[in-house]
Amino acid sequence: MASTSASSSSAIAPAATTHSFARYKANNIVEDGDLVVLYLSKENVILIRVDVNETFNCKFGSYRHADMIGLEYGTKLGSNTGRGFLYLLFPTPELWTLILPHRTQILYVADISFIMNFLNLKPGMSMIESGTGSGSFSHSIARTLAPTGHLYSFEYHQERVNAATKEFEDHGLSDMITLRRRDVCKDGFDLVDRVDAVFLDLPAPWEAVASAKRAFKKNKIGKICTFSPCIEQISKTVTALSEHKFVDIQMYECLIRFQEVRILPILTIEEAMEKERIHESKRQRALPRVLRDSYLKATAKANEDEELPPAKHMKIEKGQEEENSNKDNDDTNKKDQSLSGTPAEFEASGKTVTITKLPVEQRGHTSYLLFATLPPSVDSLPVVTLE
Amino acid sequence: MATNPSDTINAGEHVFIKMPSDNVKCIVLKPGSTVALGKFGSFKANDIIGHAWGNSYEIYDRDNKTRVYHLDEINEIEETENNNREIVDDASSQKLTLEDIKALKNEGLKGELTGQEIVNKLKESHATFDKKTAYSQAKYLQKKGKKFHKVFTPIKPTAYSVNEYFYIKNPDKIRGMRMDTLSQLLSYSNVHSGCKLLVVDDTQGLVVSALAERMGGNGTILGMYDGDSPNYDILKYMNFNDKIQETIKVLSWLRMYRGVDEKTPDELQDVTQLTGKDLEGYHRRSKAYKIVEESRKILHAGDFDGLVIASQYQPESILEKLLPFIRGSRPVVVYHTAKEALLDTSTWMRKCPELLAPQLTESWLRKSQVLPGRTHPEMSTWGGGGCLLTATKIIDFPVQAAMTKRERLAMEKKNAEAKKLKREREELANSSNDASREGSAAPVAIASSSTIVVETTSTDATDATTGETTTTTTTTTIVQEEDSKEPSSKRTKLE
Ligand SMILES: C[S@@+](CC[C@H](N)C(=O)[O-])C[C@H]1O[C@@H](n2cnc3c(N)ncnc32)[C@H](O)[C@@H]1O
Repeated sequence: MASTSASSSSAIAPAATTHSFARYKANNIVEDGDLVVLYLSKENVILIRVDVNETFNCKFGSYRHADMIGLEYGTKLGSNTGRGFLYLLFPTPELWTLILPHRTQILYVADISFIMNFLNLKPGMSMIESGTGSGSFSHSIARTLAPTGHLYSFEYHQERVNAATKEFEDHGLSDMITLRRRDVCKDGFDLVDRVDAVFLDLPAPWEAVASAKRAFKKNKIGKICTFSPCIEQISKTVTALSEHKFVDIQMYECLIRFQEVRILPILTIEEAMEKERIHESKRQRALPRVLRDSYLKATAKANEDEELPPAKHMKIEKGQEEENSNKDNDDTNKKDQSLSGTPAEFEASGKTVTITKLPVEQRGHTSYLLFATLPPSVDSLPVVTLE
Repeated sequence: MATNPSDTINAGEHVFIKMPSDNVKCIVLKPGSTVALGKFGSFKANDIIGHAWGNSYEIYDRDNKTRVYHLDEINEIEETENNNREIVDDASSQKLTLEDIKALKNEGLKGELTGQEIVNKLKESHATFDKKTAYSQAKYLQKKGKKFHKVFTPIKPTAYSVNEYFYIKNPDKIRGMRMDTLSQLLSYSNVHSGCKLLVVDDTQGLVVSALAERMGGNGTILGMYDGDSPNYDILKYMNFNDKIQETIKVLSWLRMYRGVDEKTPDELQDVTQLTGKDLEGYHRRSKAYKIVEESRKILHAGDFDGLVIASQYQPESILEKLLPFIRGSRPVVVYHTAKEALLDTSTWMRKCPELLAPQLTESWLRKSQVLPGRTHPEMSTWGGGGCLLTATKIIDFPVQAAMTKRERLAMEKKNAEAKKLKREREELANSSNDASREGSAAPVAIASSSTIVVETTSTDATDATTGETTTTTTTTTIVQEEDSKEPSSKRTKLE
């Protein structure tokens, strides 16, 4: 997170405007009281509420909120020192998921997206979510159900309820979300014939299945998703779901592989040999005749033992620190220069290869996504139950 | 009965029918018709029209009668002492003769026996059934069950189910886009009710369909297409109502700008002189022309809330043309079947001063069989699901936080000049088509990148304070203002 000064830590003041995560502003202009995501670099992103009297400070300089007012979202703003800059971004649920304060484990974009698509969420639907946790998923759901749909969110932990209530309010989502403090496993949802979809991210989702069933609208199809990291939890949930006549039970896992794109300089073997020849002749010329023979012998041996040096590469990764120097100060390229020219020269002569690289460490498992369908409970066709 | 029309199975709509074999068939539900499901028999469309989605139906007699069928709960399988050691499964283990089984089937068709009862009879007369392990018992029942329960399930076409249907049946049609990739495209595009989106969709309309579903009839999607007409075949499967349908507009790349030699139908023909076929043709043409003009207006009004590209053409070339129409801080999402096809685009994006933080992602999805005590990943899995390259549109028109009053005035003057220039170019573009072909001097290009409003921040109070913290870089920043207007200079050099 940003190295913010005390002056911006109180950035999120109570919502004074109707500014909301769930819709863009018509004029797309930053105004006093608005929410702005300050993007300094990939690792340095922060949400503030604009207050004409405040200043945002970071190591690249300071930015007075007053200077942001009147600018269009998406503007690149230079700092007072002229050394740094940041981007003023419009807050989205996806950005929020990346920067929100973690009070619990949270859902990320891969699971969020797949669940929303599978449950067929769209404007106007009603849905249950429990527990609210850090509100990561809640933001995406609210955006997608807006403006006419509704999210009923349940959480039994008082502090998390308080924090999420405040966030939903600050983010202009409180008319879309009803947040209740409740132990849904013990006391149920207390909703009947109300929702189209249910999502359970609880340690014991099977204990909430019966009550979830009652909450579904009776005369239409209902869809449920439960989210559990362990297969044993899935087992119990499957049993509960089928006992309660949910059908079409399916399970998925979904992960996103973030690919890093890099440009590597690449030489033909002829070019490499040519370089070596030049190199060698230089050294030979520098050596007195008597030493040359022993030198050649030694290098021949060393070459045998030595492995090829690792290829130097340019990093294609956009962050402000790099970008600052890359685009504005021209520093990065010096750092990246390999022996035979700058990456740009390589690129110009076509002697590069573009590759993708997976990060050394990446997520291997989040949770199992278990889906099931609840058929409408009333229908006029003759009903036959077998067995 | 469900009340919302989208909650019920309606006459004339597309419906997926999941058959006992788990295969899915797509039909159009014509009232009064009989729908044939091959060896599983057939059913009458009227038996399901008007009913809520979500039920399964059993075909239970020769007259194609159907009744709602409640799928059995999955029973916990308790492991028995049995193992498969002593089982020789051949024709002899079934005590019923072929004739007997045929008779059972016939009774089933007449509706006198349910599929379940037939399976039970088979089970009872199976010599070694009790000796089978719980697993193979379950497998046996499942196998027979599928055969004898003539149960089908109507499935509502949604972005997900349509995507799945085509991904399995004909992935090339939708350029290999898998459901998880589509779901991420929807998230990254931040699509929601009321959005205005610019889309290039060569997935036969899958992307447009999914975006339109998420907008729910509010907002605008403008789809750029090439060829005679947009190929959005997938749209028809979605059963969209008129309200949603109307949010989707299209514009041919060739009609992006009005050419000087482009004539309205009225300019081409004198309507008062036309009769019969000619008059019909005229009306057809003027209707088509109106649509083009309307779409062109939407495009040039700019201020799109996102750009989504799933095209067969080089993404950079499309980005170059369409980025100017996108608002600041709005998502740009590019899809391609192959990661390799996006590498150059990614490099291009990184150099493009109008795009922030390009990110290349590939999704991974695994489905598992879930049966109590028998849960495992499915034996065969999907191939690729395509890749996404996402970024955020930014305004390449840097603003310095602190400026002196003098600098601020200079910038304002510059802005005013830019606006004047913009107006002039707009007029020029309106009267010239050559400029448009090149994609240069796009009027909206200038509009969206020059709408920096410095004026509004310049109160006296701020001027007083900024005066102290001004730096010399301010002026150089402002100089870029001019450059940013030329599409040719949008690529800054890496060095
Ligand atoms: C992993 S977190 C949910 C994270 C959330 N999906 C997100 O994306 O931010 C699980 C939450 O469920 C809450 N919880 C657990 N059992 C509960 C119960 N019986 N009733 C209500 N909430 C419960 C916990 O307090 C915790 O905050």
